[in-house]
Amino acid sequence: MTPLSPKRRKLECDSYVSVKDQATMEKDAPEGKLAQPKASSTQTTDENALYAAGQYKSSIFKLQVDELLAELRPNYGKRTASINQSLHKLNSLIEGIQDRAALPVAEATKLLQKTHKIIVPFPDPIPSKDVAYKLAYAKPTKTNIVGSYALKTMVKSEGSLTIDMIVVMPNSIFQEKDFLNYRYFYKRAYYIACVAAGLQDFTAKEFKLSFEFLNGNTLHPILVVEDRTNKNDFNFEIRIIPAAHKELFAEAKLRPTKNSIRPKSEEADKEAMLLQSPFYNASIKSDCNAEAYLQVLHSASKQAAGYTDSCMLGRIWLQQRGFSGSVADGGFGNFEWACLTALLMKGGGPKGRSVLSPGYSSYQLFKAVVQFLATSNLINKPVVYEKTDITIEKSKVPIFYDGPRGQNILYKMTTWSYESLRQEARTAVDMLNESSFDQFEAVFILRTAQPLQRYDSLAKISIPEILKKPDSSDHSMPVTGFSNKVFEVLREGLMDRVKLINVEMPSLAGWPVKSSCPTIPKEAFIQVGVIFDPANIDRLVDHGPSAEEKKKSAKFQKFWGEKAELRRFKDGSILESLVWTQGSTYSVYQGILSYLIERHFTAEVSNSMIFIGEGFEKILPGSSTAAKVFDALKQSFNELERNIRSMELTLQLRQLSPISPQLRSSSVDLPLFNEGRPLQQPADVLIQFEGSGRWPDDLAAIQRTKIAFLLKIGGLLREANETTSARVGLENTESQFLNCGYLDVVYRTGAAFRIRIHHDREQVLLERQIKDKFIDYRTREDAVSALSEYNRICIQLPFLSQAISTHCTRFPLLSSTIRLVKQWFARHMLSNHVAEELIELLVMRAFLLPYPWRAPSSTMSGFLRTILLLSRWDWRSVPLVVDFTGTMTKKEVEGISTRLEAWRKIDPGMNRTVLFAGSNQDPTGTAFTGRGPSKLVASRITALARSACNLVKNQGVDLNPKSLFFSSTSEYDFVIHLAPAVAGLKETKKSQFKNLEVQLVASESEDLVGYHPHQSYLEELENLYSDTIVFFHGTGALIGGLWNPQHVAARPFKVNLPFTTKPVAHNDEEVQLDKTAILAEISRIGGEMVSRIAT
Amino acid sequence: MTVNLGDIHPIVLSDSKRGSGRQIEPHFLGPRGSLAKFLWKIGSFCIPATAAFPTPATHTLYLRPHAPKIPTETDSHSLFIVNVPVDSTAAHFRAIFYSLVGPGRFESITFAHQKSKTEPSPQSAELAPRKGNKRKRSETAEVETELPQIWDRQLVTSGGAAVALLVDDKSLEMVLKAVRSLHKSSKASKWPIWGEGVADKVPAIGMARYLSHQQLKYPDETALGAMVDAFMKSWNNTEEEQARLAKRKRNVPDENGFVTVTRGGRTGPARQEDAEEKRRELEEKERKKRDEMGNFYRFQTRERRKAEQSELVKRFEEDKKRVESMKEKRGRFRPER
Repeated sequence: MTPLSPKRRKLECDSYVSVKDQATMEKDAPEGKLAQPKASSTQTTDENALYAAGQYKSSIFKLQVDELLAELRPNYGKRTASINQSLHKLNSLIEGIQDRAALPVAEATKLLQKTHKIIVPFPDPIPSKDVAYKLAYAKPTKTNIVGSYALKTMVKSEGSLTIDMIVVMPNSIFQEKDFLNYRYFYKRAYYIACVAAGLQDFTAKEFKLSFEFLNGNTLHPILVVEDRTNKNDFNFEIRIIPAAHKELFAEAKLRPTKNSIRPKSEEADKEAMLLQSPFYNASIKSDCNAEAYLQVLHSASKQAAGYTDSCMLGRIWLQQRGFSGSVADGGFGNFEWACLTALLMKGGGPKGRSVLSPGYSSYQLFKAVVQFLATSNLINKPVVYEKTDITIEKSKVPIFYDGPRGQNILYKMTTWSYESLRQEARTAVDMLNESSFDQFEAVFILRTAQPLQRYDSLAKISIPEILKKPDSSDHSMPVTGFSNKVFEVLREGLMDRVKLINVEMPSLAGWPVKSSCPTIPKEAFIQVGVIFDPANIDRLVDHGPSAEEKKKSAKFQKFWGEKAELRRFKDGSILESLVWTQGSTYSVYQGILSYLIERHFTAEVSNSMIFIGEGFEKILPGSSTAAKVFDALKQSFNELERNIRSMELTLQLRQLSPISPQLRSSSVDLPLFNEGRPLQQPADVLIQFEGSGRWPDDLAAIQRTKIAFLLKIGGLLREANETTSARVGLENTESQFLNCGYLDVVYRTGAAFRIRIHHDREQVLLERQIKDKFIDYRTREDAVSALSEYNRICIQLPFLSQAISTHCTRFPLLSSTIRLVKQWFARHMLSNHVAEELIELLVMRAFLLPYPWRAPSSTMSGFLRTILLLSRWDWRSVPLVVDFTGTMTKKEVEGISTRLEAWRKIDPGMNRTVLFAGSNQDPTGTAFTGRGPSKLVASRITALARSACNLVKNQGVDLNPKSLFFSSTSEYDFVIHLAPAVAGLKETKKSQFKNLEVQLVASESEDLVGYHPHQSYLEELENLYSDTIVFFHGTGALIGGLWNPQHVAARPFKVNLPFTTKPVAHNDEEVQLDKTAILAEISRIGGEMVSRIAT
Repeated sequence: MTVNLGDIHPIVLSDSKRGSGRQIEPHFLGPRGSLAKFLWKIGSFCIPATAAFPTPATHTLYLRPHAPKIPTETDSHSLFIVNVPVDSTAAHFRAIFYSLVGPGRFESITFAHQKSKTEPSPQSAELAPRKGNKRKRSETAEVETELPQIWDRQLVTSGGAAVALLVDDKSLEMVLKAVRSLHKSSKASKWPIWGEGVADKVPAIGMARYLSHQQLKYPDETALGAMVDAFMKSWNNTEEEQARLAKRKRNVPDENGFVTVTRGGRTGPARQEDAEEKRRELEEKERKKRDEMGNFYRFQTRERRKAEQSELVKRFEEDKKRVESMKEKRGRFRPER
C-alpha cells in the first residue's frame, strides 16, 4: 500500500493491514505495487505510472490523452493486409522496370515524352541542352517502407493515409561530382520519371499516378500512387520517394557551410567568394539519409516505450498549430518531431548529455521536446549533435546539425516559421504547467491555426512578377525568396510594435505525370499575419540612432528613405526619427506597412495590399475616443470622492466604490456628457461608512436611515457648490428588505452619479430572516432574493469593478473587447437576459486563460476567442471560472465544480440556476447569473456562438465582420416596434399633458437623467408576463417576444392562472391563453411608445 | 344569494368602436362545465384598437358572487372577478358597471395583488403622503411613515382577480342579470367598451406614465425628511415599548411563578452573534490542536497516508467517470479541424 517509500514501511504496513483487508485492497487499488516486479497487466502498469508523481500531469489529463490516442490510432491490423498487398505489387513492378541506357539530357527527356508522354519534373533552372553528362536508369538497389506507417505513428485524419516508400537509386548512375549544380537532382528527376513510365507500362488502369513535390521542395519531385483497386473503406496513397546511398557523396562536401551551386560567370569563380548553399546541400543529404533515419527512429521506438505515443502526440500538437513538414507550412512536421525526439534521447544536451531519458512516459517525452523547442534558440545557438570537428556559424535559419548523418534536420524551416514554432512551444509549456485548470483541450483539441483568431492583423500581398531572380546563392523557390525579403523588411521596420510576424506562402499541389511542373499562379499572394504588442503598436514617433553614429544613421536612412528625419528632442538628443500620422491602431500599422512595401518593393505591390482585421473595431461606437471619454468620467468620480471625503458627516467614510460599467470602461455606449447635456445614465457608486452602534438593528429602519443620510449628503453637496444638483430618488418602495433610496448627483460639467449606501449589517439581518423558522414562505423568498441582491451589488460588484478596471490598464484591449462582445449580445437581442457582468467575466476568462493562444492583443482576436469560448462552453456540466489574481488552487477550482454538480442534482431541469460563472472572489458562481439567462436563452447563446464560429472558420479571412452581428427577427412570435424618437429629450417635451409640459419646460434637462422609458417599459412587461412570454431586447428599437409553449395549450380553468385567458370554444372545461388580449394590453401599456406590434 | 346552475348563459362579444361589427362566436357553457360548476359567469368587453395593434380584441372576465372562506358583511353585494386586464382601475370598472346597469351601483374595487393594509384604490394611493402631512403627529404616525408612491397608476397582475363592491344586493342581482341577457342577445355591439369615458379620470398610461414616474421618483426632500423622521420616531417608540415590556416580563413572574428569560438587562446574556463567534473560535482552537498533534504517533502518519491513498484512488475513479461522460457527451476526443 505504500508505493512512495517501499523500503521499510512496506513491512509494517502489511503487518498492520489484516490479510483479508489486504486482499480486498489490492483488488481495489492495484496501484500499490510499483516496486513489485510482478505487476504484469498493462492496466496495472498504467495506473502505477499514474500515481508515481510527475509521470503525467494529472490523472484526468492522462485519461484524456489515452482516449485521444485510442481515438486517433488507425486500426493497423485491419489495414496492413490490403496496404501490404499493394506495396508488394508495386515493389515487384518496380523491380521489373527495364534499365535505360545513359543518354544525353535532351535526348532522354524527348524519348520519355515520346514513348510515355511523361514530362520529367526537372527543378528550376532546367538543365541546359548542351551539358556533357548523361541520364540513365538502373534498377533500384533496394526499396523500403519508411515514415510514420513503418513506425506506427500515424494519426487518423480526413485525408487518406500516406505510406512512404523509398527506392534507393544505384550508385552506378551517378558520378562523383554530381552534387554540383543540380546534376544530382536532374538525374533524380529523370529517375522518378522513369519509374513513372515503367509503372504506367504495366498498370495504367490499376494505379493512378501523379507527381508531387515532397514537402513542397521543388528539388524533390516524387511519385504518388493511388491504388484504384482499393475497395476498403479507407483511402491510402503510396508515395514513391527516390533516395540515394548514404555514402554517395563525401560528407564534408555537403556541410551547410559549403557551396554546391557554382556561379556561371567566371569572375566569381574563386573558392573564397563562394556563398554557402545549405538548403541545396541538405536536400541532397536528406535523400542520402532516408534509410539512416529509418534506423534511428526505429531504434528509438524500441528503446523507449513511450516514444511512439509521444510522436503521435507531437503530430497532433503540430497539426493543430498548422505546422507540417512542407516548406509552406513551416518545415517542421512529424518527421522532424520524431527525429528530434530520437536524437534528444541520445544527446543534444550540454556536454553531449542526452536531453530525454528512455524511461520517460509518452507525456513526459512530449513535454520535454516542447520544452526543448521553447527554451533553445537554434538560430542564435545552432546545436551540433555528436560532431566536434565542425563549427557552424549562425544564420537566418535554425540549425540542429545531426553529425553522424551530416544533415541539418531543420533545413526546411524559415526564420518566421521557427519563431512561431518557438512561440507555440512556449505557450504549450505554460499550458502544461498550468496546475489549476485542465488544459487538455487547449493543447490537443483546439485548432489554433485559424488566422483571424491567431493574428491581430493580416495583409494579403500580391507577388510581383519581377522577382524572378533569387538573390542568394542557395536554391530557393521564387515565392520563398520574396517572402524572405518581405519578412526581413517588416521585421526591421515594425521593430517592437509586433510580437510575431508570420508569412504564409501559397503551396503547389500535385500534378498528373503527363503535364509539366506547375508554377505559382499570377494572382497568388502571400499572407502576412502579425501579432501586435499592444503597448507599442500605435506609437507615433520612432526613435532611430543618434546623428553622431554615422554608420547606423546611414543604414537607417537607407532603410527608411525620405521618411527618416533628423529631430531634436526635449532631452537635447538629436536622433534620426520617424513620425507617423495619428489615427487608430490599425491606421498607424497599415500606414507603416504600406510605406515599407512601397519603399522596398513597388507602389503597385503596396497599393494592391488588402488588410484584414480593422473591421471588428469599427463596429464599436467611437472606438478611437473611448479611452478619453472613460477617463473623463473617472476624473469626475475622483472629484466626487474628494467632495464627499471633505464633508463633515456623523460617521466616518470607509469606502466609495464605483460599481457602474461606465466607471470600469466597459459600457457599450460611451459615457458622454458635457455642460447642459448631462450623462444619460448616472454612474452607480456605493458608499460605505465605518461601523457604528448607532445604526438601528432592523432592516426597514436601516433603509430609512439611509435615506436620511442621503438627504444630508445631498444637502452638503449642494451647499459646497451651488451648481451641483443632488436629488434623493426612491426605488423598490414595495419591498421591505431592498434598498429604497439613492442620491443622484449631477455636476455642472454634466457628470452624473447615483449613490447608494452599503451597510454591512444588512447581510446579517437578512441571513437571520432566512434562518428564522417562523416566518412565512413569501417573506423568506423575499429575504433570499434581497440577500442575493445585496451580495451582488454590495459585495461582488465592487470587487468586479476593481478587478476589471485594473485589468483594463493591464490589457489595453480589454475594454474594447468587452464592449464589442456586449454589442454582440445586444445585436442578438439578448441584453435583457445576460448581465453585463457575466459578459465581462467571459471576456476576462478569454484574456486571463487565453490558451492555446496568448492574451489577445486586438479587438478582433479578443472578440473571436471569446465567442469561441462561448461556443465551446458546456455550461450544463462545466462552470466558468475566472481567476483574477492567478492564485486559485486546484482545490478551489474544483470546489466551484462541485458546487455546480450539487446544483444540478437539486435542480436537474435547470429551472433556477443555469449558468455558473465563479471567480476567486465569488465561489458561489451565481452572483451574476442568478437572474438569467434561462436554459432557453443559454442554449440560444451557445447556438449563436457556434454558428458565428462556423462562419469564421468557413469564410476565413474573407469574413465580413458585420455578418456576425446581424440578427433576424423571424424567430420571434411577435415583435414590438418602439417609436424611435421616444427616448430623445425633444420628443418628451411635447407631452400631451399641460401640467407636465409646464413642469418640463421649467425643469432642467438634469431632471431627465436616468430616464429610460424603453427600459422601464421592458422591465414592466417582463414583470407582468414573466410566466407567459420571453422577451428579447438589445440596443435597437425592437422587442421580440416568444410565447411560453407550456402555456399555449388549453388547460382546465382555475383562479390563479398567471396569465390572461379566454374560454375555449365548444369546450366548457378549459380555457386558453388569450394572445390577442395580451398583445392589446401590451400595446395599451406602451401607449404612444409602441409604433407597431408585428405578429 | 344563490345562482341556479341552469341560469348561466353564454355571452356574445362584440367588436370595438371601430364599428366593423364583427360577430364573435358565443361561448356556450353547459351546466356541467367546470366553469359553470364553480358558478362562474362570463363577461366580456371590447378593447378599443390602438394604432400599434389594430386587431380587434375582446377580453373575457369571469364573474361570480363573492363567497370567501371567511365570510364578511359585504359578501352579499360583492362580485368576484377573475382575469382583470393589467391596466384595470376603479374608474374602468365604474364605467363597465355603468354601461351594464346604469349609474350609482358601483362602490369600489379591490385588486388581489394590493396589500390589504393600504388603501385599495390606486387613485387614492397617490394621495397618501399628502394626507399624512396634514395630520398631526400623534398615534397615527404609521400612515405618514409610508414611503410615497412612485407610480401614479399601478398595473395589476396578468390574469389576476379582484373583488368589486356594489352598493347593495339588488345591484349585484342586476349586474348578473345584465350579463346573462347580454349573452342571450348575442349582439356584439352591446358589450361594454374598455376604458370608454375614463381617459380624463385616471392618469394616462404609456409615455405619460413613465414621465410622471420619473417625476415621482424624486419626491420633495423636506417631506421625505419629515417622513423619515416620523418613521424613525415611531420605530424608536416601538423599540422602547418592546424593551420596556421585556424588562417588565423579566421582573414579573407569570401565573405559575416562573420568570421568562428575555434578552437585555443589567447582566444580560451576550448577543447571539457574539456567542457564535466564540464557539467558532473555540472550534478553531480545538482543530489547531488536533492538527499539531497529528504527526506524533506512527499510526497517525500511517493512517493519514492510507487515507490519502484511498482519496487518490477515489479521485482517479471520479476522473475516469468524468472522462467517460465527456466521451459520451462530446462523442469523441477528436482534434478540431
